[in-house]
Amino acid sequence: MMLRGLMAGMALVISVPAFAQVPPELLNNTRRQNGESITACFDTTATTLEFDREVAKLIADSLFVDLQTRDGFGGFPIDGAGFMDELQIAMTNTCDLFMGISVQVNSQFPEWVAVSRPYASMPFVLAVENPDWQSLADIPRDRKIGTALQSLGELVFITWAQQQPEAERWKRLPYANFELMLKRVQDESLGGMLLWQPSLVKLEQAVPAAKSLRIIDLNPVPAVDVHVGALVSSKDSFLRSQVDEAIDALVADGTITALMERYGYTGHAGE
Amino acid sequence: MKLGLLKTCLIATTALLMLGTAAQAQGVRENYKPVTDEMLLNPPAEEWLMWRGNYANQGYSELDQINKDNVSGLQLAWAWPMADVGIQETAPLVHDGVMFLQTNNNIVEALDAKTGDRIWQYRHVLPELPSAWGYQINQARRQKNSIALYGDKVILTTVDAKIVVLNAADGTVAWEKQVLDYQIGYSYTVGPLIVKDKIISAISGCSIAGTAGGCFILAHDVNTGEELWRFNTIDDPNNPAQQESWGEVPAENRWGGTPWATGAYDPETNVTFWGVGMPGPYAELIRGSGDGSVLYTNSTLALDADTGELKWYYQHLPRDNWDLDSPFERILVSQEVDGKMANMVVSVPGKNGIAFGLDRDTGKYLWSKETVQQNVVTSIDPDGTVNINQDLISTAVGESHLICTSVSGGKLWMAGSYSPKTQTFFVPLTEACNTVAPTQTEFTAGNAVGAVKFGPRVLPEGITEAGLVQALSVSPTEGDSKWQARSRPSMTSSLLATAGDLVFGGDAGRFVKAWDQETGEVLWEQRLNAPIGGYPMTYELDGEQYLVIPTGYSNAASSISSAFPEIPLPTGTGNSIFVFKLPAAK
Repeated sequence: MMLRGLMAGMALVISVPAFAQVPPELLNNTRRQNGESITACFDTTATTLEFDREVAKLIADSLFVDLQTRDGFGGFPIDGAGFMDELQIAMTNTCDLFMGISVQVNSQFPEWVAVSRPYASMPFVLAVENPDWQSLADIPRDRKIGTALQSLGELVFITWAQQQPEAERWKRLPYANFELMLKRVQDESLGGMLLWQPSLVKLEQAVPAAKSLRIIDLNPVPAVDVHVGALVSSKDSFLRSQVDEAIDALVADGTITALMERYGYTGHAGE
Repeated sequence: MKLGLLKTCLIATTALLMLGTAAQAQGVRENYKPVTDEMLLNPPAEEWLMWRGNYANQGYSELDQINKDNVSGLQLAWAWPMADVGIQETAPLVHDGVMFLQTNNNIVEALDAKTGDRIWQYRHVLPELPSAWGYQINQARRQKNSIALYGDKVILTTVDAKIVVLNAADGTVAWEKQVLDYQIGYSYTVGPLIVKDKIISAISGCSIAGTAGGCFILAHDVNTGEELWRFNTIDDPNNPAQQESWGEVPAENRWGGTPWATGAYDPETNVTFWGVGMPGPYAELIRGSGDGSVLYTNSTLALDADTGELKWYYQHLPRDNWDLDSPFERILVSQEVDGKMANMVVSVPGKNGIAFGLDRDTGKYLWSKETVQQNVVTSIDPDGTVNINQDLISTAVGESHLICTSVSGGKLWMAGSYSPKTQTFFVPLTEACNTVAPTQTEFTAGNAVGAVKFGPRVLPEGITEAGLVQALSVSPTEGDSKWQARSRPSMTSSLLATAGDLVFGGDAGRFVKAWDQETGEVLWEQRLNAPIGGYPMTYELDGEQYLVIPTGYSNAASSISSAFPEIPLPTGTGNSIFVFKLPAAK
């Protein structure tokens, strides 16, 4: 709800990434005859990769079709250069679905894809080592906070900070490497780190020492969730409504909730 | 990664490589004459040995057989299609009757410069590691100036961050070196500079999550590949001012600073000059650097060619918030004034189109001159301090401003050309603006990709023509507008100036033109198959001068095509080179 409020306040900007231009020869515009299967594509660097895979299988099962999968798609720059080009090629030529997409009120995706409704929503969390802190408000203002670079959580943090007098703000540093960010919390260069909860789960799996972190309240910064959904190729508008119905059913019958629990994700199924 | 296509690409590529070494007619250039140090220092007028023709990056030819009086009689000698689908940024090189073309996907072809017949082709086999692929595959589709000639070798920089040295006679691999780790994102975009047994190169991929803290200009031994030195453009422990300019952001949280154009070299002082691009993230609000100028982004660097030691730097655009990259070609200009030689670095270094003259020995600011409409730089002080319009800096996420020039320029990679004969600097430019708003545009959930929203490119108010060729008279005290040639379609190619008093270049409307260097009058034009692209060049063989014009798919055309809707862009890529010459004398 908080996120919606923030999002509604943002001007709707028609976005065109700096170099989203694809030579037409690379686009295969013939209709793919997939018979009884759909192809789901994944970013191999995605935080929720295995979770997304299982959701794709569940969606395919709901539609009584086989699932083909394609992996790849990682390694894009923080400025998104080239991302839309490759996405357009993938969605035109290969993918019926692209899983693990951040569903936002003002969609940044162009007209050649549609966005499904979210199948899961997971929050941003603030992780600290200090046992005395119960919320962000307890962290002294002279401590720095690490934020996950380019994330919605970082956006909310920055937006909140800009609304405060300068003396009331925490200094913030952006991190793309969460193991490094953890190290900085442990060596006390950072007071805490703000990252997506599934990212913390992934970090704990890679670095068991991360389990010693405590999650504290983000207050006074508003809470924020990432809604995770899928892109559906615009070539098949019927598929999009089918996918939405499948997601609704999986949410309603508790399947997604159980899946989230198994992965250790907090938040809730659906939106 | 380009899903599905990677495997297809690899299979096709591998198959072609195998074919190439066996069944396909891979020729050999017998008795290929090596390119010597002396040739690089004083390139023969009839050849084109490096990216911009000489170490000074002037993009100028001494040839004058094709000149103002006869250019209207140019005829097509031959044409050649360029291997794969991609963006046309190729820089043809010619030596000993062989034309070397670097096309995309790191393909190199050697053609007979007289007939256009292919002698050999090299296809680089790219590694199969999907998780690190996306950016590199996208970059591989740019056909660019990625080769240099030295000795009997062709030296290629690749998207998987390798230096590959080919035998010029037959295109076989002599040796290769993995320079940096492509799996964390490093990738070569531009080609190397060969200086006294050294390969000097600059890496890209410096805005990828895994490459935080380091973007490099490097030198390797041309014979052994041993790394000799490297200079980090965003982390210089020897310069406290550089560190302070990032505010409280330590190196491990810095991105960007990519040198996107091959450097120039001054043999007199043994100094090499490189341009550096924008910081990452683009917006200081996200970057965390406060009001810091973030050195050495958007700067000219002068480095000792033997050691990589920084001699001086000058920042053309401090505190960038708009991706107004300033890494473009640095041109060395020497002019005799009152019996003394004035040595300068002249450039339109950045997207905002402002031309600069700097003292080559000290980096001291000499002059500047605006070309296209821009609203970010408000003034430049006599000491060279660049003042920016702070009202255009977003202080809130989502706060949008109209910024001129656009993220696609103004000026872009398409290089200008300096004519020492007329002491004029010719620059290809586009008039364009766009809105810029810092915002997290999360694409895949939880991944650090996507930061700033750019609106569509639009013409500035009052401007109806997107394309501009700006001729600047250059001296140690000023750069002044000599003439301007405007056109509806945007400029899409680099420029070539010649001793025949001509400037060649072309636009999104598929026109290649020859302008009179003195007046800007169009003396010849020819409409081809696609937007003119890459780096036009010229050479002479058996007494005949040839003019080489690359054409093909152009981002510079499509990004602002709404400004000239009456000019259709071709749907195919049409990547080709067209080679013109004068009719044979009767």
